[in-house]
Amino acid sequence: MQFLRVWAARAIGLLTGRRQDLDFDSEIQTHLRLLTERYLSQGMSRTDADAAARRQFGNATLLKERQRAQRGFLSPAEWWGDIRFGTRMIMKRPGSNAAVVLVLMLGIGMNAAVFSFVNALLLRPPAGVASMGSLLEIWWHNRATGGVQGYFPFTYPDYAYFADHSRSLEGLLAFDGDGHPTIWNRSGAGQVVQGQLVSGSYFPLLGVNAVLGRTLSPADDQLATPRPVVVISHSFWQRQLDADPGIVGRTLVLNGTAFSVIGVAPSGFTGLLVATEPDFWAPLATQEQFTHDKGRVADRDGYWLIVAGRMKPGTDSVKAQAEMHVLARQLELEHPGSNKNLDPIVYPATLVPGPYRGYVAAFTGLLLAVFALVLLIACTNAASLSLARATGRTREMAIRSALGAGRARLIRQMLVESLLLSSAAGVASVALARWMTQLLLQLKPASLPIALDVPLDWRVLLFALLVSCATGVTFGLVPALRSAAVDAAPVLKEETRSAGLHKSRLRNLLLIGEIATCVVLLAGAALCVRSLMHANSIDPGFDTQHIAVATLDPGSLGYSPEKVSAFYRRLMDHVLALPGVTAASYADYLPLGTSEEVTSVAKQITSDPNKGRSDVFRVDPGYFSTMGITLRGRDFTQKESDSPEPGVVIVNEVLARQLWPGQDPIGKRIALGGAKATSEIIGVVKSGKYRTLGEEPVAVVYRGTLPPARTLVIRTSGDARSILQEVQRQVQVVDPMMAPTGSQTIEEYMALPLFPARTTGILLGASGILAVVLTAIGLFGVIAYVVSQRTHELGVRMALGARQVDVLKLVMSQGLKVTLIGLSIGLVAAFWAARLLAPLLYGISSNDPSTLIGVAVGVTAVAMLACYLPAKRAMRVDPAEALRYE
Amino acid sequence: MGERKSDVLQGTLDLMVLKTLYAMGPLHGFGIARRIEQLSEGVLDLNEGTVYTSLLRLQQQGWIASKWGASENNRKARFYSITRKGEKQLALETDNWERFAGVIERVLRLERQG
Repeated sequence: MQFLRVWAARAIGLLTGRRQDLDFDSEIQTHLRLLTERYLSQGMSRTDADAAARRQFGNATLLKERQRAQRGFLSPAEWWGDIRFGTRMIMKRPGSNAAVVLVLMLGIGMNAAVFSFVNALLLRPPAGVASMGSLLEIWWHNRATGGVQGYFPFTYPDYAYFADHSRSLEGLLAFDGDGHPTIWNRSGAGQVVQGQLVSGSYFPLLGVNAVLGRTLSPADDQLATPRPVVVISHSFWQRQLDADPGIVGRTLVLNGTAFSVIGVAPSGFTGLLVATEPDFWAPLATQEQFTHDKGRVADRDGYWLIVAGRMKPGTDSVKAQAEMHVLARQLELEHPGSNKNLDPIVYPATLVPGPYRGYVAAFTGLLLAVFALVLLIACTNAASLSLARATGRTREMAIRSALGAGRARLIRQMLVESLLLSSAAGVASVALARWMTQLLLQLKPASLPIALDVPLDWRVLLFALLVSCATGVTFGLVPALRSAAVDAAPVLKEETRSAGLHKSRLRNLLLIGEIATCVVLLAGAALCVRSLMHANSIDPGFDTQHIAVATLDPGSLGYSPEKVSAFYRRLMDHVLALPGVTAASYADYLPLGTSEEVTSVAKQITSDPNKGRSDVFRVDPGYFSTMGITLRGRDFTQKESDSPEPGVVIVNEVLARQLWPGQDPIGKRIALGGAKATSEIIGVVKSGKYRTLGEEPVAVVYRGTLPPARTLVIRTSGDARSILQEVQRQVQVVDPMMAPTGSQTIEEYMALPLFPARTTGILLGASGILAVVLTAIGLFGVIAYVVSQRTHELGVRMALGARQVDVLKLVMSQGLKVTLIGLSIGLVAAFWAARLLAPLLYGISSNDPSTLIGVAVGVTAVAMLACYLPAKRAMRVDPAEALRYE
Repeated sequence: MGERKSDVLQGTLDLMVLKTLYAMGPLHGFGIARRIEQLSEGVLDLNEGTVYTSLLRLQQQGWIASKWGASENNRKARFYSITRKGEKQLALETDNWERFAGVIERVLRLERQG
């Protein structure tokens, strides 16, 4: 423990350096003065006495320098010397060191890229919000429901109750987590903009002030007297309104209602929810203009508000949570129907809502872990390369230690070199991370109306710095300790350059670890890539080519039902007249999206609560032929589709089998939940996928009666992309005030359901390829090095009669032994680790034997190749040459 | 450079300083240097500055402690004193030294044979 004490003393010395310098200075001065006085009293002249004192004391400057080095860890001059020497040593072998930098850059860069997503989602506080620390997010949790489905946002009445009764919170704010695509009447032409509904307390509680005008206040947000006012976002003001300085007081016609602009939010402020970038904020009290839902603010069963509160000074989240429990109990007593089992949970406010944070953290954590393994392989690689180098430098180290360099001094020199390499890699990795994040963002489906900002801020840079330093120390320490442990005398006496048994054992351990890690990563990668291939080949039940999709909502403009259906009829006529269009129809929404409607189904009208359940899609005639869904029986007529109670439905095969196993359902009658009469089944369609690609068969009933918000589907003979622009134009031709809220090809639409498989497939696939390449480089490097060290020995063997094939066997067997051990360890580890991936896989078991066997064969093949190339060189060794070399 | 002086053997200065502090009680650097000079009777060639390096080393090991005080002629000076741990260390080092010196002595006493 004594060395700890000395190190602690040195650490303190490092911190208090300046004061100690001054103290020491005065100590020396006193000493010199006393010596001088002594010589003066012996009768010397002043000058002689001074000189004699200085002579007797010795070199004071050198002493101070030494004192400083002894007190702290190093003097700056020594650092500089180490760095210069290290750079020289690195420059001496540009090839192998460039390889180390490249390998580390890939490892660090991928980690930094994944970390910038962790940062963007979980760590970064919302821009522009004052003191996030005292903000709490509140969610309902249903005690009777497990999983993420058990969490709800608030209803308006519950929010109002909490806002009125809470004492531990300074105030509560609420906002609608769903954005509202809104039609903005821009001088006669409709344009879709994104709105967010927020409470009057939102801006004041967040401490966000307008850069122009004022923000919303509680007075704007009174249910009885809602004021039609909006705050616009800074970027909307800049992009769409030319940063008009006189914008405050002007009017925007949104969904047909005039709203006056009262202010502009500060630049960068996008609210409390990740990935949303509203163009404007409107008071909650005006919600009817955006949701077309009259009774929503009074609805005790409508959960739509994300609620947050600011704690009063002196309150903590535990006290707040306790108070929330009490308030919830009172609500439960007052409203036993709607509030049964509901319990509030408070979270510190961040950009990702509390209940989902765990899932986001788990997914990004898994990715970080995967790329940490890649980095580990990169480190092992760099370590075995520098270990090989260190072995080559044994003589240098021996000489330095013979000349008086201490063990610590040698370790430091080696560490400085590895840190130089890793910092170079770190700098390059930031550029790589920037490029990678841009690439990864492109994986986001275009149909998701989210804008994820992934900044390369100080957190990411700090992360890259820490990882670089940790990397440098990790891969540098083992070789450094080895080379510093050199016993100078025997090395200098003998002329041998052979690697000791000890060192090669360590190198083999590193290789085994590297191969095992590689196997784990490659197995994960292979599983995810195969799962992606499966997902791509899953038949969703409809065509995924030659279809254009556009979403429309004339209801936003407050049109009457007659006007809505007139609009759709005219639009259909225009669309069908477009060249290249072979069919077109409407649906309320497409399968595999984010919406769903569920109803109960039975053979007759019954009050039995255990009825079957079925998903509902509302479609117009021609939907099945447009989407390429096989229909048996007949399609709806336009009249049946428009009627509020059509009396006819089409079902999918799953539902038909459930209700009438073995019979033809056409002509049978079915009772849908809430209907007063049964409906006739006029057709059966082939089953597909409706919610997720990996789902079990789902029962579906198709009916007419479409809502005002619809999806237009168009089948084209050529490329669907070419028709999108034309469709948008036709919408405006039919009604200048309308604009599609979205338009895309079916391929783009399918990016959403394929998103999880694509992300994991591409990311883990990349990690697997990196792992294999890095491992192959590492194996090749080490075997090549060993061969070069053994040239002399191999030459002797061949001179004594060893055949080329014996040499080949000798070299290969060394590499293969290591490979096989690493492979077996890796397979066992992969078997366990793959379970983590199970929830992300489509159509493949996490312990798929053929994948594991394939990985094993692949790794062995790569390893054999990596060993064969240097072994071939060893085989060609000319004995005469090799012996002369010595 | 008429008379010959001996260099201070590496590692022995710490022992000398420690023993001086043990024997004389708290002293400042100048005092220690004087004391060693006196005892060496002019035989040792001591760079007095190195006393301070030794003092820092001993202090970092926790074998001596220091505090500021006033010297005999009222100058501000740093006084060093041996700690309890230092005394134990001194006993240990003294033992070591005596054993080592004993060996050297016996070796040097060897007579030429034959």
